[in-house]
Amino acid sequence: FQEALDLPSDDLEVIETQAASEVVKYEYHVLYSCSYQVPVLYFRASFLDGRPLTLQDIWNGVHESYKTRPLQGPWDTITQQEHPILGQPFFVLHPCKTTEFMAPVLKNSQKINRTVNYITSWLSIVGPAVGLNLPLSYAKATSRDE
Amino acid sequence: MTDDKDVLRDVWFGRIPTCFTLYQDEITEREAEPYYLLLPRVSYLTLVTDKVKKHFQKVMRQEDISEIWFEYEGTPLKWHYPIGLLFDLLASSSALPWNIIVHFKSFPEKDLLHCPSKDAIEAHFMSCMKEADALKHKSQVINEMQKKDHKQLWMGLQNDRFDQFWAINRKLMEYPAEENGFRYIPFRIYQTTTERPFIQKLFRPVAADGQLHTLGDLLREVCPSAIAPEDGGKKNQVMIHGIEPMLETPLQWLSEHLSYPDNFLHISIIPQPID
Repeated sequence: FQEALDLPSDDLEVIETQAASEVVKYEYHVLYSCSYQVPVLYFRASFLDGRPLTLQDIWNGVHESYKTRPLQGPWDTITQQEHPILGQPFFVLHPCKTTEFMAPVLKNSQKINRTVNYITSWLSIVGPAVGLNLPLSYAKATSRDE
Repeated sequence: MTDDKDVLRDVWFGRIPTCFTLYQDEITEREAEPYYLLLPRVSYLTLVTDKVKKHFQKVMRQEDISEIWFEYEGTPLKWHYPIGLLFDLLASSSALPWNIIVHFKSFPEKDLLHCPSKDAIEAHFMSCMKEADALKHKSQVINEMQKKDHKQLWMGLQNDRFDQFWAINRKLMEYPAEENGFRYIPFRIYQTTTERPFIQKLFRPVAADGQLHTLGDLLREVCPSAIAPEDGGKKNQVMIHGIEPMLETPLQWLSEHLSYPDNFLHISIIPQPID
């Protein structure tokens, strides 16, 4: 594994709980798996007092449209795993389907003669399922028409 | 002359005599006796400690019991690491039995993965096997297997059934006739003295000229500090399954014979013990 990009969320995300609003800090890391030769998304979240969110808490914060096919589609399985560099527990989107769902993206961009930033495209697909909504500015900054 | 197949059995049936003691701050209704158990080196803590859990829960009240976790000399033990790896890395220089402390409170969220069920252990184990085959065979062998074969691998491990496990695992140890080994060797190198939990890189078992790479070649390439003498010649021990293989051993042979059931070579680099 190598650390390709470390993307701390630039904003604190607010989620509503039953009693009151609580501020939740999300942390996302993009790593590269040399075994599967694809990027892998690691993430964790905690309340400001340090209490970690469970996978269920995070899932509750996900947009409805991603919940209708839970744990299917490109994001496959989410499991808790050890961060290979930090050694701490993180949630991980399993990488096995990545090549499969990225193939049409890459093929299409070739067809319309447009360069694609692999990481930006990949992250815009898998990120929203776990609360990471990539601002459009990322796409504008990293791709251009030929 | 020992047959190579005997090595597979010796690895599988390796055991570590362990003494489990309840953490002193746990609330008990009466005194908890320590519990002794022979732990399989190739298995996982949460897979083989049901009896330990039952033993201590007998003297505790339900409300004082949360998720079980284990600790050795202040270090929370990662259940997702094979038992033999944990022992070699943390306790091999100490006298037997291995003394492990059992906790039922204050789960260390920042250090340990949760283990909610046996299914979680199976998922982790299968995930490691899949990653190993991605390295060895671009996932072709494991993906060609049926679900029942995957189940047999897991059941073999869970029930300590060597023959049941190896009936399927032998397929993961094959390679095309025209090659001299796997595509890449699945390995992880662990050291307690570094920040990173382990080192894992792409490494081929065969050099461009067809020569077989050795354990020494691997270490020199990915972890040179491990075998280079420092501080006036204080060498480290390079340990797998409680033994120090010769550095001249071909890596391909080690991968076929000394891998853990997850098909990874888990290698410990530990300071030479002071005699």
